[in-house]
Amino acid sequence: MRRLRPSGAGPLAWCGILLATTLALNLFQQVLWLVLPFLFGLIAYYFLAYPMQRLMFAGLSQEAAANITVGVFALLLVGAFAFMLPRFAAQAVGVQETGMRYLQGGLLLLDQTLRALEQQSRFMRDAHVADAVSSYIAVAGEGFAQNRLPSLMMSVAAWLPSMLLAPFLAYFFLRDGRRFQRFLARAVPNAYFERTLHLLYEVDRTTRAYFQGLVKLTVLDAVCLAAGLWVIGLSSPLTLGIITAVLAWIPFVGSVIGCALVVMVAATDFPGSPSIAYASIGLFILVRLLDDFIFMPLTIGRSLRMHPLITVLMIFVGGAVAGVAGLLLVLPVLGVIMVIGETLSIVASDPRLRARHAHARRLRWQAVTRDL
Amino acid sequence: MRLFGRHDAHEAPHPLRQIKLFSTLSRRELPVVQALRHERNYLAGEVVFDEGDDGEAIYAIVSGEVEILRHEGGRQQRLAVLAAGEVFGELALLDQAPRAAQARATADCVLVVFFRADFMNLLETHPKIASKIALSLARHLGGRLRQANAGQRQDGHL
Repeated sequence: MRRLRPSGAGPLAWCGILLATTLALNLFQQVLWLVLPFLFGLIAYYFLAYPMQRLMFAGLSQEAAANITVGVFALLLVGAFAFMLPRFAAQAVGVQETGMRYLQGGLLLLDQTLRALEQQSRFMRDAHVADAVSSYIAVAGEGFAQNRLPSLMMSVAAWLPSMLLAPFLAYFFLRDGRRFQRFLARAVPNAYFERTLHLLYEVDRTTRAYFQGLVKLTVLDAVCLAAGLWVIGLSSPLTLGIITAVLAWIPFVGSVIGCALVVMVAATDFPGSPSIAYASIGLFILVRLLDDFIFMPLTIGRSLRMHPLITVLMIFVGGAVAGVAGLLLVLPVLGVIMVIGETLSIVASDPRLRARHAHARRLRWQAVTRDL
Repeated sequence: MRLFGRHDAHEAPHPLRQIKLFSTLSRRELPVVQALRHERNYLAGEVVFDEGDDGEAIYAIVSGEVEILRHEGGRQQRLAVLAAGEVFGELALLDQAPRAAQARATADCVLVVFFRADFMNLLETHPKIASKIALSLARHLGGRLRQANAGQRQDGHL
């Protein structure tokens, strides 16, 4: 048996990995109502794994540690919900009005910017870019409100109950994760047993590193954005920082939406000074650069250990195959399938392991037919 | 599957205490180690691991016998025969070097297996238990070294 190394997978295995990732994303899109709670359950699991481990360090059993960790987490959630609900209810009536106000502020800034550019550029002035963009946004916004928004709201409402699955899944991952691993390993023939243990460990390590990296990255992004927005003078900098950091979970699209959100708030809070909105854009670009070149390599980048070209390519494939859900899921799914594919290709191409398995089967056959 | 049924610790556990490596653990500590074990059945003649394999796990014999073999110059040399209570593959806990010898069941046997990563995790979560096991392991390796020095061919076979 040769030593396990990620470079063991050949081009054929890599084609299989990429194809399997694409198929998995396509399948996941069909059962998104289950995949999303599973994903959030996994994030909660890896987030809670550390405090649970500290409890086990203190001498508690895995079951008791899982009960206490999830119990305290649930109490904190309920407490936060109870604290936020009255505030949210008080502002619920004004939410639509506030949203429209910020949207108007953003559109006004866009219009002002385009008209300022028209004054500088004859080509843009002749093309009536500002009027064209304004009318396009008005038509698109109306069409979205009439056709897409109701169905989108219904989909979100339909998903909400299934999201309640997430804490239950996290609890059972914490309590029974190890037993599930043992159950899987029990089904594997002796010859492949150690490799299977290694595979399960690597899958767990990859997903753990990815989701823990994601949580760390979100905290870093949120803190940097909140601090920058606070310096600029925007209202609710922490809330905006958290929302934009969470939106950044969706590659490319999430960052653009987050930036647009911040700009809309800046344009509405300071209607007469577009420089604040431009400063917000500058801050956003700075945080993106920090994110891409410093934070990401330190957190998520270390976990997946894959070539940047494949990462970018698969992000586009994920978006094309499964839309926003594909963008969100493509990296963790690719990370796990990569580990499984590489290990399986190494095991399948190891003649010694296959020979040992065949030998064990012969021995078992002889044992059961000895007295026949 | 019994994932959500009875707790594993209540499943007629094999007496881990009879295994030398765990003989110093208390009654409260044994279930922690018990939860990490995998149980495997091997038939006489079946290879447990090969020389050159990645060492990912340590094995303990619950019942049966296992021989340790090494190929030298085209000849197969038996280094040791291990019985119930003994452990082998213990060097996998210490480093990631390839297995130095082959292990093969000489009689039908039941083995309990502990994955190295689980043991490394035990160092973080239960350092007291891990240090007891490490001490037992050090004694075990010391014994092997003494035997080797005394000229018996059980030297570093794992």
